[in-house]
Amino acid sequence: MRAAALLFALLASQAQAGWEWDDALTVNSVQGAAIFPHLESANRQGVAVSGGSVGVVWEDNRDGRPQCYLATKPADAEAFRAETRLSESDCYEPVLVPLEAGRFVAAWEEGGRVRARVLPGGTALQLSKQEAAQVTLAAAGDAVYAAWAEQAGRFHRIVVARLAVKDGTLAVESAQPVEAGNPSDEQGWPALAVAGDGGVTVAWEDRRHRHTVPMVSHSRDGRRFSAPARLSDRKSGSVDGLGAGTGAMRPTLAAWGETGVAAVWLDKRDFLSGYDVYAAFDTGTRRFGRNLQVQDSFGDNMAQWHAKVVGDGGGRMLAVWDDARDGTPDVWLSEWEGEAFGDDVAVPAATGPGAQSDPLATLDDAGFLHVVWLDRDDAAGTRIRYARAVRR
Amino acid sequence: MNLFNTLAAAACLWAGAALADPPPGYPFVGFDAGLAAAKSSGKPIFLYFGRYGCAWCDHTNKKTFSDAALKKLYTENYELVYVDAESGKRLTLPSGERITEAELGARLQAFATPLFVYLTPAGDKIMQIPGFKTVQDFRDYDRYVRGGHYKQKTLLEFLGGKS
Repeated sequence: MRAAALLFALLASQAQAGWEWDDALTVNSVQGAAIFPHLESANRQGVAVSGGSVGVVWEDNRDGRPQCYLATKPADAEAFRAETRLSESDCYEPVLVPLEAGRFVAAWEEGGRVRARVLPGGTALQLSKQEAAQVTLAAAGDAVYAAWAEQAGRFHRIVVARLAVKDGTLAVESAQPVEAGNPSDEQGWPALAVAGDGGVTVAWEDRRHRHTVPMVSHSRDGRRFSAPARLSDRKSGSVDGLGAGTGAMRPTLAAWGETGVAAVWLDKRDFLSGYDVYAAFDTGTRRFGRNLQVQDSFGDNMAQWHAKVVGDGGGRMLAVWDDARDGTPDVWLSEWEGEAFGDDVAVPAATGPGAQSDPLATLDDAGFLHVVWLDRDDAAGTRIRYARAVRR
Repeated sequence: MNLFNTLAAAACLWAGAALADPPPGYPFVGFDAGLAAAKSSGKPIFLYFGRYGCAWCDHTNKKTFSDAALKKLYTENYELVYVDAESGKRLTLPSGERITEAELGARLQAFATPLFVYLTPAGDKIMQIPGFKTVQDFRDYDRYVRGGHYKQKTLLEFLGGKS
């Protein structure tokens, strides 16, 4: 028995050996039993780091209607400053990317259109001409791109825009659908990445094959996109004349290494155990390879939710998600180790009793991992929590 | 009907057959409309949590929900709600929280579709049942729910007794 306890302690210490975590902070200053903050967004792009300053965006209903908020923590501050409201009417699924020197670009859906704004300061710019939703952003150097799902006939299609930032204001340099013509079925939840060579990759959920398939397209210049390809290596098709294929949803992308792009999404190919976290990599060839399961075997018989991939130019890459393998939802991460994803590691402040879920994450230039999640408490209200970690 | 219209109609029929939407002919509505209707009618809610292209949903639709008597039973006695497991469409929970249809799956810890959820007229969950079920299964669940047996017994206890 003692030997087993020692072995367990050893394994536990090894599992935590990789990351050193700062104390967790609360991001949202207003909580309550009837206030419901949400971190959901296309590409789960709600946290960014600029010049050491951390920004987090979310939506909540403290004012009686859903509104979007931004809170920042300057590099030398020990806590987040009180949040500022970004929207004037019903607002959903905000995202955030860094510019230089503590500035950011935020985007969100408001009044059935998608908008973006430079922060701090700046004024909101309407990006979409038609009804649109599920906006996301990606930035690399001076290049800022946005993608969203815009009404085109009966369905939504994916539109990608290049944005110009000048003197704190935004302008749309170019905007075009990934595919000309109206879609044959619904498209949504785009994810964007700008690779080290400046190429733009967009992935999205696509129902043209009569079930949800993550699709992907590339562009060298952000204007002309390649014909969509499947991110999933599963084929569509019915089984004994039933259905059209297994489900997959919410693709996320991250630039990775010198010219690579990593993709992570929720995949139900093992349809009896809920969604699993799957990944595929484009090493610079502008083709994604075979699909890999991210979570380890301890999470196999459990549904995973809210997956997100993050990477950096140095070649680090990891995925975060939540699952309830220990009885209640906790936030987990797994890092790419060159040949496979490593063992799943719980984010210490986002595990234990209660529900910790909906992680966002980013890697900064200084080597820190920043993770944000929801800590749900039905009585006291939901807190948005943040923690920073560094590889030991 | 010209050739184009004929082909278009055939394509629609094919699409309808291949998809796993709600079973045809049932008056399924969205979550918010169903909850509002239940508050007004006092009927319990039968929530079908399906997925676009789901083979087992398709199988259940064809094998089980094609039964005319079952259709009558559920149409007359329940507010029928359909939720798409991967949709970003928004709904409002009885608590007032606004989430997406896909997020409802996370809250229910849904691991398979179809998933059938029975709710009180106020939107409180009575039970959730995953996977393919027969006509008799749905008749048993109906007796359990509308007979109020869930207040005293688990479903297994009820089915063991077959009251």
